[in-house]
Amino acid sequence: MLFDRRLATILPATALAGLLAAAGIALSAPAETLAPPDAFVAIADPAQRSAAYFGELSKVLTHPRCTNCHPATDRPRQGNSARLHQPPVTRGADGFGTASLRCGTCHHGANYEPAGVPGHPEWHLAPAEMAWEGKSPAEICIQIKDPSRNGGRSLADLVAHIGDDTLVGWAWHPGGARVPAPGSQQEAKALVKAWVESGAACPQ
Amino acid sequence: MPPVSLTINGRSHGPIEVREGLSMNDFLREVLGMTGTKFGCGAAQCLSCAVIVDHADGTSSTTPTCIAPATDFDTLVIRTVEGHATNGELTPLQKSFVAHFAFQCGYCTPGFLNEGQVLLERLERAPIPRADLERTIAEALDGHLCRCSGYVKYHQAVRDVVLADPKRFLT
Amino acid sequence: MRPSRRDFVTWVAASGIMLAMSRIGPVRAAGFEASQTLPGTAASRLPGATAGRIDALAKVTGAKLYASDFRAADMEGWPETTAHALLLRAADATHVFTGLDLSALDAGARPAQVVTAQDLERAGVRVPPFYAGDLLCPAGKTPLYLGQPLALLLFETFDAYDRARAILREKNPARFGAETGPVAQPNYAALRFTRVAGETPDKPDVYSPLIEGWISPGVFEPGGRPVWQPLPTSEGGQYKKGALHGEAIRAFIAASAPDMLVLDRQFRTQSVDPMFLEPEGGLAWYDPRAKALRMVLGVQSPLEASEELAHLLGEAAAGFRPERIESHFAHVGGGFGGRDHTPFPFYVALAAMFLPGRPIRLAHDRLQQFQGGIKRHAFDMHTQVAFDRATGRMRAFAADHVLDGGGLANYSASVAAVSATSAIGIYDIPKVDVTTLAEHTRGVTAGSMRGYGVLQTTTALETLVDEAAQALSLDPITLRRRNLLKAGGLTMTGNPWTVSIRTPEILDKLEGHALWRGRAAARKAAPAGTLVGTGVAVCAKDYGTGADCSLGRVEVDPKGRIRIFCDAVEMGNGIGTAVANRVAGLLGRRADEVSVARIDAFDELGLVTSGDPYTLTQTEQDEAARNPRWVPAISSATSASIGAHVGTQAAAEAARLIFRFGLWPAALSLWGIAQDDPRRFLWQEAFWFDGALILSGLPPLKQEKVAARAHEMGGLTGAMAHAFSRWAWAQAAFPLDGFEWVVDLDALAVRRGGGAFKVLDRSFIAFPPASYNRIGTSFTSSCGTLVKVEIQKASGAVRVSQAYSVLECGEVLTPEVVVGQAQGGFAMGLGYALLETLPPFEDGPGNGRWTLGDYVVARGSDLPIHALEVEVLPRVAPNEPPKGMAEVVMIPVVPAILNAIHDATGHRFRALPVTPDDVRRVL
Repeated sequence: MLFDRRLATILPATALAGLLAAAGIALSAPAETLAPPDAFVAIADPAQRSAAYFGELSKVLTHPRCTNCHPATDRPRQGNSARLHQPPVTRGADGFGTASLRCGTCHHGANYEPAGVPGHPEWHLAPAEMAWEGKSPAEICIQIKDPSRNGGRSLADLVAHIGDDTLVGWAWHPGGARVPAPGSQQEAKALVKAWVESGAACPQ
Repeated sequence: MPPVSLTINGRSHGPIEVREGLSMNDFLREVLGMTGTKFGCGAAQCLSCAVIVDHADGTSSTTPTCIAPATDFDTLVIRTVEGHATNGELTPLQKSFVAHFAFQCGYCTPGFLNEGQVLLERLERAPIPRADLERTIAEALDGHLCRCSGYVKYHQAVRDVVLADPKRFLT
Repeated sequence: MRPSRRDFVTWVAASGIMLAMSRIGPVRAAGFEASQTLPGTAASRLPGATAGRIDALAKVTGAKLYASDFRAADMEGWPETTAHALLLRAADATHVFTGLDLSALDAGARPAQVVTAQDLERAGVRVPPFYAGDLLCPAGKTPLYLGQPLALLLFETFDAYDRARAILREKNPARFGAETGPVAQPNYAALRFTRVAGETPDKPDVYSPLIEGWISPGVFEPGGRPVWQPLPTSEGGQYKKGALHGEAIRAFIAASAPDMLVLDRQFRTQSVDPMFLEPEGGLAWYDPRAKALRMVLGVQSPLEASEELAHLLGEAAAGFRPERIESHFAHVGGGFGGRDHTPFPFYVALAAMFLPGRPIRLAHDRLQQFQGGIKRHAFDMHTQVAFDRATGRMRAFAADHVLDGGGLANYSASVAAVSATSAIGIYDIPKVDVTTLAEHTRGVTAGSMRGYGVLQTTTALETLVDEAAQALSLDPITLRRRNLLKAGGLTMTGNPWTVSIRTPEILDKLEGHALWRGRAAARKAAPAGTLVGTGVAVCAKDYGTGADCSLGRVEVDPKGRIRIFCDAVEMGNGIGTAVANRVAGLLGRRADEVSVARIDAFDELGLVTSGDPYTLTQTEQDEAARNPRWVPAISSATSASIGAHVGTQAAAEAARLIFRFGLWPAALSLWGIAQDDPRRFLWQEAFWFDGALILSGLPPLKQEKVAARAHEMGGLTGAMAHAFSRWAWAQAAFPLDGFEWVVDLDALAVRRGGGAFKVLDRSFIAFPPASYNRIGTSFTSSCGTLVKVEIQKASGAVRVSQAYSVLECGEVLTPEVVVGQAQGGFAMGLGYALLETLPPFEDGPGNGRWTLGDYVVARGSDLPIHALEVEVLPRVAPNEPPKGMAEVVMIPVVPAILNAIHDATGHRFRALPVTPDDVRRVL
């Protein structure tokens, strides 16, 4: 299927996916799910297809489950509405909070549903240079490939981070009233893998 | 019903069988009847329920009890507001709270007392420059909500304990 | 001015249920009583805690003190175990409630009892008129308001309760059917306050509420809105006269003559939560054998709660009507008005009545407290002021207030009246017309909260005055000074303030402060990316309600030890400490035992009351006053900033009598001053120092020796007193040692030596005239605030970086508490201006999903902790009594912040709170 290339340059990737879906092509999936890499085979241009993988993946990356702990400031956000975290904790020197308010103080090994508090043994903030909150998929894409702004990760490391890290994986099983990240961690892994293998192109 | 054993204010408790999911706050208040530790928000947003956990490495930290199961406190050594005064003597921080009229309704006091005490002990281990004192106190206490006092006297009360014995807490 | 609902009350309630004002039953809660008597025996065990607040030691050691701390096992004579109740509330007020579906609860989480509206009807429970509305919404009806209780679930064990609470939070059991829209109800109040001054200051008013009474339009539109215009019909009665004057004032403003500056503005203030840190909680046990209901509660209004509980159950069916209600009132973990006249105790009592024989606890968590607790009224205000351009004098003022009262009437009418009669703040304006309407809505019930409507109207007024100063090219403080209401001048209800008026000094202090003088320099010195501004505001706030009273009992033992009981409630306000300090000044020693929130320690006074103290006529009062036991009201809520002025009054007067008729004669005896020695009249010259009584030229006497001698002589060693104020103290004479001794009390019992208390008949009584009920504000104290704000241009974040508050409150009973209240009031004011908000209706707290993550109150990092200066003016005379100050200190903070934001940004915000997004939008 051919379509006007200019559209791809003026529309963000998610809108692009929506456009394709509207055109009757099973490329993207509803907001709460992720399309498999196969869904994008119709895109002939490898760079565009790669960018489309990332566009689909960005439904995860821009989701509150991810951006809440990849905040633009030193303070995380909370909840489906992504309001500022209360109490007002900050990342601290190591990303695990300040001396007085460590993340692990409240976020224990697992979710504690009676109080609605999430938990994971490694609960912490992404480093400041990995802030995604408020950024477009294109901006995140460039950032996530840049080892100086992705925690020194190679592309393969990114596949592991998104695909295998259990703290990242919490985003798909957040419990309580929290809306899970779209799709599943396996589906996200497949997308990030396809993106890397197809040249890790970024949406325009 | 997993059993929980822990040390509170120097006294061993347990093993006590608790229902899975019972919060540490309810364990203290409903099971042990120790209501000095308060319940304020149920979401670790006010920290009136915070207690001190003494770690094996000699350091201590506070932790809210309303958002964690009692089972997470198995084997831990903790201190609560009821345990600060010993041998009939208030601690310097307790005396300072009293002398400063730090609190009004007093419901947040256990949390502030525990947080202030942990800070003082931390400064004793790792003194800080005088110039950093106000900022350090502000950071330490900021998680705690108080609706009566405007916080001013709490901060002054902690600061005055430090300034009364600067060699102990400051570089 | 706060309407009362009392028909007839004695120590036995009208219902015939004995309110246990003395604890004579088979069960005594000795442990509870000891816990509430401070500093208590622990004080001697823990040295270093004798200074500070009376309650300091208990609070700093985590002693059981608050209602939420008590379980059945803590109460002497109660069964050991505690059952637990869960109150389910409606998150929907536009659909028919069809019932509960509790199928999500497994066997381990099932309640032993589910109490519904049908059960209440079957039991014959009566709703007290003040709380009119279904206590539980019946199936088949649309809930009256969001957060209306639907059912009480009673659980035998904590575990079952706790599990059910968690399950039902995820799976709301309330089922709803057809959409009906919100339930329509009449509005709560529509009042108009109009004053037209005489042509010159020495001429009497042409029209005022004091002369003509308060008026309300008699005609309403179909939707419930009042018709404010004076209709040509006779309907509305006396309303028409006032309304014609009001309309003339509005026409004068609308004409907007060239020599006038007219400002016409709309303001909107939001609903907020008092957010006291201890959620409401209580414990109750109905003992069917003794037919006694025993309770532990934490409220600001103990007698009110007791009376209303008696009303609730007074005509209930057999098994649901106790013969006796015994309530224990605990220290309160914050109130701010939100625990004054709260319906919460009803549900505690009902839980116990429906699970007889089992002590049961009902306690809100924070979600429930947001969903069900009393809120502050949101206001819509339309305000118009006409200034004389040449002089800057305010010539006329008109305003229209609409209050969102939420689902139950509660104090809405009263808040509407207080806010309207305070609408012109500290100013002298000859023509004033204010209408106020308190509406019923489906929102969470609004009621009493610190600032009580004056916070809202002062915010509008003080920002408007700031705007006028700019338009008139006058300094904001100069403009305020030119318009001040001075001593003897009349307020908008037509009466003068009858206390010291310190606003001129307050303005001087503000004007002279470095923060104000340096404001232009501070703006210029703002760092790049930052805007700096300074703002000022001044406020006067009434204290008292127009029918306030206190009970106080003071005893001195042979060792000089002092014990005090008072009915005022300790909610952080330091009332126990204030009473102890006031008594210490008279009796030479700080109290060894202070017991607060006690309405059960005054039996010997045998007080009776009748009628409504706010509305009774002079004839009714004169008639009733012939009974020496009659008083207009028995015990007040601890609210309306009355703690220092009223709450300490009875104990202070009791102490003064003990000194005059107990310790002083003993001292004369120890000094050997004979009956014919004129020095025996010098009792007012003597004073206490370091535990000894000093009179010039005589050896100091140790307090304990004086006390011992007083006991030996059979002198007056105890006094139990009642005081009443309707903008003036009731004054009575009592026969004492051959004198007809006049005191600011209306009932008195005394004890001699180690004897029992005996009531004295008053030989003379002067209650303040009933016409004082038409006064708006007579007792007032004032506060001014300066703030400097720093605004980040990029984010719009407003930070208060420095502030100064100056206040006056007559005699300062506990200086540290006064300063602490001012600091706390500052924090609450800042939160109201910049942080806190509760949207109305479905998105608001009534939906049951609000936490302290959504509702942000000020933290330490939001405040200028080390740059907040508080100055308290010394009293004007050595005998100036204490004045209320707990509310006034919060109020000017809000408009001062708004004025500072304007100074920084050039934009005037007229809706609260001002968020960073709001600021960014206008930059």
